Amino acid sequence: MISEQAKQQIDTWVAKYPAGYQSSAVMEALKIVQAENDGSLTSELIQAVADYLEMPVISAHEVATFYENYNHKPVGKHVIRFCHNISCMLNGADDLISYLETKTGVKTGEVSEDGLVSVKKVECLGACVGAPMFQIGDQYYENLTPQKIDEILDGLQ
Amino acid sequence: MNEVCFKNIDKENPSSLATYEATGGYSVWRKILHGELSPEAILGELKTSGLRGRGGAGFPTGLKWSFMPRNQDGQKYVVCNSDEGEPGTCKDRDILRFNPHSVIEGMAIAGYVMGATVGYNYIRGEFMEPYYRFEEALKEAYDAGLLGGDIGDSEVNFDLHTHLGAGAYICGEETALLESLEGKKGQPRFKPPFPANVGLYGMPTTINNTESFASVPDILARGGQWFADLGVPNSGGCKLFSVTGHVTKPANFEIPMGTPFSELLKMAGGLREGRTLKAVIPGGSSTPVLPADDAMKMTMDYDSIEQVGSMLGAGSVIVMDDTTCMVAALTRLAHFYYDESCGQCTPCREGTGWMYRVLKRIMDGQGKIQDLDLLMSVQDKIMGNTICALGDAAAMPVESFIRHFRHEFEYYIKHGKSMVENDG
Amino acid sequence: MVDIEIEIDGNVVHGHSGESIISIADREGIDIPRFCYHKKLSVAANCRMCLVDVEGNPKPQPACSTPASAGMRVHTNNEKAKASQKAVMEFLLINHPLDCPICDQGGECELQDVAMEYGSDVSKFNEGKRIVADKGIGALIQTDMTRCIHCTRCVRFGAEVAGIVEMGATGRGEELKIEPFLSEGIQSELSGNMIDVCPVGALTSKPFRYEVRSWQMSSVQSVARHDLVGSNVFTQTHKGKVKRVVARDNESVNETWISDRDRFSYEGLANENRALTPKIKVKGEWQEVSWETALEAAISGIKKNSAEAFGALASKNATLEELYLLQKLTRELGSENLDTRLDVANPSSASALETTISLTGLEAVDHALIINSYLRLEQPMINHRIRKATLQGAKVSTVNAKAFDFNYRVASSVLSAPQNTVVTLSGVLKVLLESNSQALPDYLKGTKVNQAQIDIANALSAAENGVVVLGEQVSSNPCADQVAKLVEQIAKASNAKTLNASATGNTLSAEKVSFKPNGGLNAKQMFDADLNAFVLLDVYPAFDCVDSAAAIENLSRDDAFVVALNSFEDASVLSFADVILPLASFYETSGTHINIENVAQSYSASVKAAGDSKPGWKVLKVLADLLELPGFDYTDSSQVADDALSLSPSLAATEVDIIAMEVPNIATVWQYTPYASDVLTRHSQSLQQTQIGQVSEATVSEATAKILELSQGDCYKGVPVNINETVAEGCVFVHTNQARQR
Ligand SMILES: Cc1cc2nc3c(=O)[nH]c(=O)nc-3n(C[C@H](O)[C@H](O)[C@H](O)COP(=O)(O)O)c2cc1C
Ligand code: SF4
Ligand code: SF4
Ligand code: FES
Ligand code: FES
Repeated sequence: MISEQAKQQIDTWVAKYPAGYQSSAVMEALKIVQAENDGSLTSELIQAVADYLEMPVISAHEVATFYENYNHKPVGKHVIRFCHNISCMLNGADDLISYLETKTGVKTGEVSEDGLVSVKKVECLGACVGAPMFQIGDQYYENLTPQKIDEILDGLQ
Repeated sequence: MNEVCFKNIDKENPSSLATYEATGGYSVWRKILHGELSPEAILGELKTSGLRGRGGAGFPTGLKWSFMPRNQDGQKYVVCNSDEGEPGTCKDRDILRFNPHSVIEGMAIAGYVMGATVGYNYIRGEFMEPYYRFEEALKEAYDAGLLGGDIGDSEVNFDLHTHLGAGAYICGEETALLESLEGKKGQPRFKPPFPANVGLYGMPTTINNTESFASVPDILARGGQWFADLGVPNSGGCKLFSVTGHVTKPANFEIPMGTPFSELLKMAGGLREGRTLKAVIPGGSSTPVLPADDAMKMTMDYDSIEQVGSMLGAGSVIVMDDTTCMVAALTRLAHFYYDESCGQCTPCREGTGWMYRVLKRIMDGQGKIQDLDLLMSVQDKIMGNTICALGDAAAMPVESFIRHFRHEFEYYIKHGKSMVENDG
Repeated sequence: MVDIEIEIDGNVVHGHSGESIISIADREGIDIPRFCYHKKLSVAANCRMCLVDVEGNPKPQPACSTPASAGMRVHTNNEKAKASQKAVMEFLLINHPLDCPICDQGGECELQDVAMEYGSDVSKFNEGKRIVADKGIGALIQTDMTRCIHCTRCVRFGAEVAGIVEMGATGRGEELKIEPFLSEGIQSELSGNMIDVCPVGALTSKPFRYEVRSWQMSSVQSVARHDLVGSNVFTQTHKGKVKRVVARDNESVNETWISDRDRFSYEGLANENRALTPKIKVKGEWQEVSWETALEAAISGIKKNSAEAFGALASKNATLEELYLLQKLTRELGSENLDTRLDVANPSSASALETTISLTGLEAVDHALIINSYLRLEQPMINHRIRKATLQGAKVSTVNAKAFDFNYRVASSVLSAPQNTVVTLSGVLKVLLESNSQALPDYLKGTKVNQAQIDIANALSAAENGVVVLGEQVSSNPCADQVAKLVEQIAKASNAKTLNASATGNTLSAEKVSFKPNGGLNAKQMFDADLNAFVLLDVYPAFDCVDSAAAIENLSRDDAFVVALNSFEDASVLSFADVILPLASFYETSGTHINIENVAQSYSASVKAAGDSKPGWKVLKVLADLLELPGFDYTDSSQVADDALSLSPSLAATEVDIIAMEVPNIATVWQYTPYASDVLTRHSQSLQQTQIGQVSEATVSEATAKILELSQGDCYKGVPVNINETVAEGCVFVHTNQARQR
């Protein structure tokens, strides 16, 4: 269920915490496992992570449902996480989200037909001086304009 | 400007060890490793400096460190709060990106002072670029023999690790952060006991904000008095302010405490052409909003902002010009707290949703005039009744927006649309 | 302990520093509303209902998590405190359904109670209430999560008391949901306590659902007699039927908890298989008759035979009074053929291992060695006390035929087939004696010792407060006496206490009245001797007898006259019995239970006996009268109990020799699920539907399976075979709800 490579990655996190506190690594473990399973989690994967870290599965499930970065439904290959909080909103985030929705044909919370992108509205991403902004993968894209969004979308594959 | 945390920001390769050391970085840490600085001396300087926690609550850092039972046996921990998530706040991200070594040195010093040999930097999960930069810096520091066990035969031990969040604003609250570090949901703990007694894994722990730690090396290198003198009484030093919203050059500015708001506004390029100032949230979304007149009276320090009716918080200045619909702005903030409540305590779990729904209904044109009193009463019932300060943080914007801009809310309810022709 | 003084609502009260305000207030009888606080659980401080005004604090403080400090002045109902409490109440009600009349908790709901106090303020909330979809959590607990107020008592109960983390609080904010990970059903043997801790109608008793309204019932104090603890309960009755059983606080016995077995077994009382009318067999046909006729038939059958040919067998769950009267009747008839040890492979006249520790004492042990026991399921409340000790750092080691799921960590475990347990324990004893520099008895001289035995011995001798627990599975062991003797010696050599849990139910009452042969025949011998007249007291040989087939065959002889006092009808009993005298079951008779601490707990009948059945003590008294035996002029069961309790057991016990016995190469350990352990639980449908209740498997190792020529999925004594390596070589571990087969 969890690949050897993922296990190794998880182990490097486990090594950071005192002996017996391996469940401190559950947040990363869930992310690692989510990443190698098309970006979302299932009950089986949560169970596998709990077993690997020797923790009660309900506790892993609590974590998986508490934090926003975990997905429990299929998502696009690229998840566009658009900040709609105050600083971004003051700088036109709402209009840009509508623009993005029209452009991609994907409503927030949905996945494009080809599975390439999904759009999610998120809370402040801590880059408010670059508002409006969104995140795709590890990358932040700031000071967005319709033109910039077009370019970014063109670059996605 | 930019004298402490941001002093290298314009240099080439600002985050590298070489750049950091070129401007005196790790000199304090090396003194410690050579046995030339005592914990007591450090605490003394910190107290003199007037440094107050930069995470929002403004608690004096020197005093906080002195609460740790430093001579007690057993593991103790130092934790850095880089979970920056308060809307309007984005300073710690830049410290991690451009001056990570100052955080490492600050945490190491803290570990030494409090007898903690292990530190964790809790970085919010979305901050991947800052995380990679910080990890690089960490590797540099280990490679240079600045961290680890018995560092350079000094008998000083300090190991530092990063922990990544996974998307929950509440984990910025220090006890929620500890729960999260332990691999649990980020639900704040009730206090007492305080982390200095029962913290991470049940052991004594001190948590400070990224900027607080990053300020420590320079304070000790140049003296507490030097730092204090940068600022004004009761607000020592300089501080980072994130100026965002309706300004032409939004950015982070490290300026002396006590700088007039009007100057800060100028640094950020002022308002857009033809616009007038309507309101300012001076310290991040959780602090009360100020109408323009009050805001223009304040200087950027704890006491002055309090005098005009708000708080310095994390120094996140959200500027709103006359195009802003205050109903829409508050609804957005209310949604944020509703979305981010951890849900464990009754007033916050039930009250944040209630306030958001009423506001949403007003936005949808279904508002009733009694809704404003209702909102005031709900926020009042949350205020002071919750486990952590998120409850208060959710209540304060509602209270201050309605108190200062009631006419806009009334207009919206009567006409089913905003008073502001929003063309921005 | 009293070391500080504080003021609550103007009253000066005492507490110790660090104690919470609420705990002081509770002791002083000052009422502070609360939902999440529970005296037996960790503090969560999440409901915020207990907010009080503490002078000097700008914000109201939660009484449950605020430690008292000297001189503190607390106001629980001034304007500030009331305002906060009222605010919290309002928040709790906005999403809570207001349909108490159809809620099963109606009338006993903490939320309803507190809400009434705050008046029926019409809430200003009209944004639409939250509806929460339910995940089923098994046969015992009905969920209605829309009513949940997220106090997390049930979650904390699971993590802290049950020791199986099953329920969790998932999601966040308004989406916070109390639920298990999967809806397969809760695994804990203590799960029903979640119903008691839940302050609202979110978790209620499933079997009780829609039965009656709580206020229509009357509560009767009673005692559960399924195990050695005798947990205190209230039976809640309506129109002469037990509708529900809930825990009754008794700190030294069951604290505030009861096992699921104690809570839900009552369901069996209404089972269709109850024996409701006296019957006699005429020419092989059963005829329903009057009590007089049946009793007449019984005594004439008994009188026809000599005293030596008469034997009495009784259930371990019978009451003290029943056991006393039946042994008295038997002995007055002149017979010494008496036994309750039907499931014991080799019942002997050795004296039983003594229990030298109290229930609360168990919490203070630092090491427990558990032998031949799945203690968690056998004696849930005893196990619970040991779990509490483990939370304080006690270590547990086990010597068992199988690796069981305990709800605490087992530090070291030795797998040992029953026939090898003597050898295993001998090794442990040898190490102990040698390290004490004590002389070795002959039988230990040749004993070889391995690392596992050394580890156990070392752990025991390092312990300051050790206990050795001997469990039920020893009864399958032909060398049970030797095992018990070794346990006694091991305890002595390591200064540990002992706990004998090898026979359950009301066994200590049987001990008290010497319900075993003093020179007569034991259960096994009675069958071997082909006796001619038997009285069976709530005995069901198909389940109860170690060699059930032989027992049934023997009782079915033409020249065996069998009077069965039965609470349930059972096919095999019907096949061999000649007279059926219907017996009042649990809660239908007054009685006495003697628990592991030798505390006799008497209770009265909660309801009238079902149908025409009658309390056993009355039936036995009348039988004795009709047999014209002296000394049975009792008018009340308490007189019987007084006589029984004044007895001092005076049986001559035989010495046990620990010598090499001939042992089988492969042995069977037969253990019933806790819900097949007595006739009442076997007839409680809900218990049967639980995960614990449905287990039926014969576990055997690969190597042993080969010898027995068993493959996965075969049947062994009627039970499906499961081959894995959790079980000792040389034995088959049968864990089942099925009757015994050859
Ligand atoms: C809801 C909430 C969110 C918070 N978020 C942050 C945060 O993102 N970063 C931070 O440093 N402190 C945050 N805090 C404040 C911390 O609880 C804590 O006071 C701070 O980290 C202490 O460090 P300091 O003394 O250096 O400021 C938050 C507090 C609350 C109640
Ligand atoms: S105030 Fe809100 S966020 Fe804080 S503990 Fe209570 S429910 Fe959680
Ligand atoms: S189900 Fe009952 S006990 Fe559990 S959290 Fe909800 S209200 Fe509390
Ligand atoms: S408000 Fe959008 S990044 Fe902060
Ligand atoms: S009882 Fe104190 S907060 Fe719940």
